[in-house]
Amino acid sequence: MKIRFILNGETKVIDVEADRRVIDVIREDLGLTGTKEACGRGECGSCTILVDGSPKLSCLMLAAQLEGREIITIEGIKKDSDMHPIQEAFIKHGAVQCGFCTPGMVLVSFDLLKRNKKPSRDEIREAISGNLCRCTGYQKIVDAIEAAAKREL
Amino acid sequence: MYQDYLGEVKKLLHGKDYKVVGKNVIRVDAIEKVTGRAKYTTDFIIENALIVRAVRSPYPHALIKKINKKPAFKIPGVVAVIIGDDIPGENQCGYYLDDQPLIATDKVRYIGDIVALVVAKDKESAWAGADAVEVKYEELPAVFDPKEALKGDFKIHNRKSPGDVKVIKGDVEQAFKECDVIVENIYKPGSQDHAYLETEAAIAIPEAQDGILVISTNQGPFRTRNAVARVLGKPQSQVRVITPYIGGGFGGKDTYGPIISSLAAVAAEITRQPAMIVHTRYDSFVYHFKRCPFEIRFKSGATKDGKLKAIEVDYLCDCGGYAAHVIGLLKRAAYHSTGVYEIPNCNVQGIAVYTNNLPVAAFNGFGNPQMLFAVESQMDLLAEKLNIDPVEFRLKNALVPGSRTGTNQLLDHSVGIKELISKVAKKADWVKKRSKQKRWQSETKKRGIGIGCSWHGCGTTGFKHDWAGASVILNPDGSVTYSTGIVEIGQGTITSHAMMVAETLGIPYEWVKVELNDTSRMPDSGETHAQRGAFIGGTAAVDAALKLRKKLNKLASEILKCDEDEITIEDGIAYSLNDASKKISFNDLVREMYQRGISPAEYGFIKARRGYPDPDTGQGDPYAAYTFGCTIAEVEIDIETGEVNVLRLYPGVAAGKILQPDVVRGQINGCAMLGLGYSLTEVVERENGKMVNPSFTDYLIPTIMDKPEIAEFISVEDEYKYSGYGAKGVGEIAFIATPLAVANAVYDAIGVRFYDLPISAEKVYFALKRK
Repeated sequence: MKIRFILNGETKVIDVEADRRVIDVIREDLGLTGTKEACGRGECGSCTILVDGSPKLSCLMLAAQLEGREIITIEGIKKDSDMHPIQEAFIKHGAVQCGFCTPGMVLVSFDLLKRNKKPSRDEIREAISGNLCRCTGYQKIVDAIEAAAKREL
Repeated sequence: MYQDYLGEVKKLLHGKDYKVVGKNVIRVDAIEKVTGRAKYTTDFIIENALIVRAVRSPYPHALIKKINKKPAFKIPGVVAVIIGDDIPGENQCGYYLDDQPLIATDKVRYIGDIVALVVAKDKESAWAGADAVEVKYEELPAVFDPKEALKGDFKIHNRKSPGDVKVIKGDVEQAFKECDVIVENIYKPGSQDHAYLETEAAIAIPEAQDGILVISTNQGPFRTRNAVARVLGKPQSQVRVITPYIGGGFGGKDTYGPIISSLAAVAAEITRQPAMIVHTRYDSFVYHFKRCPFEIRFKSGATKDGKLKAIEVDYLCDCGGYAAHVIGLLKRAAYHSTGVYEIPNCNVQGIAVYTNNLPVAAFNGFGNPQMLFAVESQMDLLAEKLNIDPVEFRLKNALVPGSRTGTNQLLDHSVGIKELISKVAKKADWVKKRSKQKRWQSETKKRGIGIGCSWHGCGTTGFKHDWAGASVILNPDGSVTYSTGIVEIGQGTITSHAMMVAETLGIPYEWVKVELNDTSRMPDSGETHAQRGAFIGGTAAVDAALKLRKKLNKLASEILKCDEDEITIEDGIAYSLNDASKKISFNDLVREMYQRGISPAEYGFIKARRGYPDPDTGQGDPYAAYTFGCTIAEVEIDIETGEVNVLRLYPGVAAGKILQPDVVRGQINGCAMLGLGYSLTEVVERENGKMVNPSFTDYLIPTIMDKPEIAEFISVEDEYKYSGYGAKGVGEIAFIATPLAVANAVYDAIGVRFYDLPISAEKVYFALKRK
């Protein structure tokens, strides 16, 4: 079926099977491989994308659900050619190790800081509690989000 | 032949402070990873790549009577069905021993053993094809308990054990007679899944001149290349392995990388088309090899003045259906079985046993966490009997420069454990918190504090020498191209290599570009495991950079008409220390190298300074150097639910020079959480050897909500002189100490000792009930 949606600010019209998973559409059909699949069943948060501004798990969405939506992936959150302050904070605070959970972590942080300009550390923990990371021990991810928030996005 | 790299570097820098090493820099891989541009194996989307799906045995032990490929070909899209006999080269993928066919031909030895591959145009056809292949089995009696396997006659292989190990020193019998306290227990540390977020995957692409390119999730590009060459019957030069970014390894991709790569390569070779295999999370949980469960009988004795006299240890490693990694981890456990202590009398005997369980993999610590769990529990039990504080008891017996290990290795320098224990204890406020009188507790909550000490030999355990290469090319514009055989699995090693190259050459770190890991660029550099990435791989980088730096110094002295010893290079400017106006830019200097025909490229290649313990006595030098760890844990136990809540961890390492403090902090935090999972929640539940909780819902790795407060790590920089900048490895040590500290803290809180891991809430609940 033909699906029209906005992806990272650009209108896309694609012809795909309606029951194709959104993560496959994004990665394979549209070539945006920044979105990662780690569990394929909504347990880890790696495949998070923003749908009309809210974080959703793209491994649990089907292509038909994209119709008329506005999607932002990790490739689309930066302003102009610079990096988003959250991305800068992740780099500066060493919140990146293997990097496989990073896109999902950055996107849920983006959502958090949009809703809550000055989150407490507990609110930050809550926000990323659905995202698994096996390398960093989470500490520096929380530090990075806190630092990004202090820059008053 | 072993260079004092630390001394050489210090001389070269005229004793000045480092400009790059020891500082925090932006990781080589950070920008790509936060923007989503970093490429992992499955991000290499190859058009028209065939999809490979393995047909796996549903039986733990059975003869393969017949395989009928035909039904699979009824599925449109199926291109090939490959069985063991179709493999072009040798059907063999064992890690240490040749006991594991890539595709089983005569019998299967665990649930999931591969019997065929279906290669198809799309995923659906590949999966349907794999379901359609008809395999007739004749079931054989299976065994899942290693002790039964040793007693019985199951004939999994033509011998019951793939290997054993001994460490024999002094006179244990006599020593125990002289002991005032003796403690003996049986410990059963369990399995663990790596649960890295990126599952196993490989892509193989036929290349020119009959070659084959493999892009895969592996921690050993050369081992992978050699494994692929073997199954394809090609020379190693015909196989090229590119290792992109890896989404976590922890050892699992060391073991499974060559296997999954070989599967894709066989499919690509037979079809002469690109072929790809990707594990789902279910596949990864159920089929990729995991941490080895141990059963350890540990007897230790000390005199009443608190000196350790003797240990007697025998242990079984359940390796599952094939030897895979067990030979190495079995030995590593024995070589570390004294813990960080000087013990004059040792009788340690370990044996690996084949069962029909899933085989075992390398995993952070490599057998050492299992053994040290027993060691450190014994230490606390002895301390209690001797009525000595556990920290004091450890300090009395800790290794010092000049000590000899259980394998009789002389540790002549770089032994920071004693200072480390003191510092960590001080930071944790041990004396005050350990005092029972002042301790906070309530009706339902009990608190405790415990210590765990670890050590880990840096470098590969095993049969081959431990070597690595690196190359540095100075480009005409002064930029630097660096290549290494070490893989970036998230640990940050390639950044530390770039830093050491920059420091050695006297240029800004940003001038060094690290190339994608490609086996065609580099001599065999071994695996990225065993804390060897910075320790051995990084020393090869320094070796290459030093060779160039010496040429640059000589050339600069000729141009600036001064003595070679006067030359220094800093921030990309070479100048005379006696007359700073005599200077030339690094770029001009490099251009002059080209003009004068001086080679601007060098390979570095080094071999670790170590030997091989004698197979009968285990006496010898198995590792070049040891990193030490110490962690103190504070726990709070809910006695109504049995839940163990770790409140605070105080980690510390004596890992030589810390090359990048931020990266080490990240590794220590990550290791602490991996260790918490092993301590408390990660249970691999098995039925007939097969994991039956294969999801993140049922297999509980720590989330942010489980994270305790982790104190800033303590570091004792006990530099090792034969490595670049005196660094030792740091990737595994902080993991190892965590479960030991947690287990001892649990005992301190509730007075119940657990002899197996993990210490789940359920176990604590019932233990308290029994109490």
